[in-house]
Amino acid sequence: MLKNLPGFLILVAMLFATNAIAESTPTDDVRTSVDAVIALLKDDTLDTESRRDRMREVIDKRFDFRAMSQRTLATNWKKASDAEKQKFTELFAELIQNSYVSKIESYTNESVKYPGEKKNGKKAVVDTLIITSSAEIPVNYKVYLKDGSWQVYDVIIEGVSLISNYRSSYQEIVMKDGFDGLLAKMEEKIRELKSVPAEAS
Amino acid sequence: MRKLLLLLLVLTFPVSGWAQDSAGEEDNASQSQEMTATEQEDAFLFEDEEILEVWDPIEPVNRVFFWVNDKLYFYLLKPVARGYRWAVPEPWRVSVKNFFSNLAAPVRIINSGLQGKFGDAGNEITRFAVNTTIGIGGFFDTAKDHFDLRIKDEDTGQTLGHYGVGPGPYLVLPILGPSNLRDGIGMFADSRMNLLYYISEGWTYYGLRAYDKVNDLSLDKDTYEGIKKDALDPYLFVRDAFIQYRQNKVEN
Repeated sequence: MLKNLPGFLILVAMLFATNAIAESTPTDDVRTSVDAVIALLKDDTLDTESRRDRMREVIDKRFDFRAMSQRTLATNWKKASDAEKQKFTELFAELIQNSYVSKIESYTNESVKYPGEKKNGKKAVVDTLIITSSAEIPVNYKVYLKDGSWQVYDVIIEGVSLISNYRSSYQEIVMKDGFDGLLAKMEEKIRELKSVPAEAS
Repeated sequence: MRKLLLLLLVLTFPVSGWAQDSAGEEDNASQSQEMTATEQEDAFLFEDEEILEVWDPIEPVNRVFFWVNDKLYFYLLKPVARGYRWAVPEPWRVSVKNFFSNLAAPVRIINSGLQGKFGDAGNEITRFAVNTTIGIGGFFDTAKDHFDLRIKDEDTGQTLGHYGVGPGPYLVLPILGPSNLRDGIGMFADSRMNLLYYISEGWTYYGLRAYDKVNDLSLDKDTYEGIKKDALDPYLFVRDAFIQYRQNKVEN
């Protein structure tokens, strides 16, 4: 029995290894996307527009904008028609992408650390730390397993949940101006963002 | 970043009507039997959902001060910070930040102690000793760079929150920015625990505080500009971010 112990351990190790290959961890998935974005940032051969387009593609694959929209609208989501849901998801995706891309563009020289993750069944939180010259900013990604890959449904920066933040503001806008009013404001904001060229800071 | 958020930018008290309503409807909906299959599948995404409790009874007044601070930021603080950033190399500015942060060590030591977080208090005492000596008067964060002792923010507002004091109404203070009744009082207490108060007086004191802010701003990556650009209503965005930010601080 003891003679076989090393062999047994190797077998166990291999079993674990195969499992690890079969299913990527939440951190793996987040890291792949973050690394891809950083690589795009450092790629000097790209002009601003094509870099942004490529970044949006990467973000689109990792972020589940429908789940995010649903969480943002909460009760208003349940009241909305399918067409309204569709419209909101499209506009919201565009706003989040824009805001994420412009944020990330200002962090060119900083490095990202992955201190750990908390997994709970089909949901997990991936902790990341953006290290700048003067501060360390905790950015945590809430993810869930969807069709074999971990999809982001909320981002928490320094304890501030992006989704909770949008939810609260959007709810107030829906109360004042109605759902159509919210959609109109979002469209107006997107037009505004498009008319302003990429600014150098 | 902390100071920045404070610069730029409530829970046992009554919350506004819509927050309570939506909380109630959420519960009803998740118990409802009429959910579609997709909705049921997605329902688990909402389990960890927290409803933000907002109490902003003097919103019109707050909006006025928000507007004043906004103008102050774009027409005074930011241009000064930009010129300063151009003139002074970044490592120097990081050192200035370290210096002011080191003077504020008693704020963190006292408030960690008051909350019974003696490990954190000890950590801050060590940090203060190391940075004041080897770190040459606090200009270098030697404790972090060489001994891996990281700063942990604690202040009087967090101590009050720790003992169950709610944030009270949201307030936008002139110049100082977003706050609430509890943290506003806390900020005053903090200023008296800060060594800066004891090594300078009168205009020198206020000048140094202003300099600390401008220095912080020079290290910032246009956070407020980003909010202004992205948010449908920057006032609401800053308010809701501040409320979450402080709630999280109190809980940790």
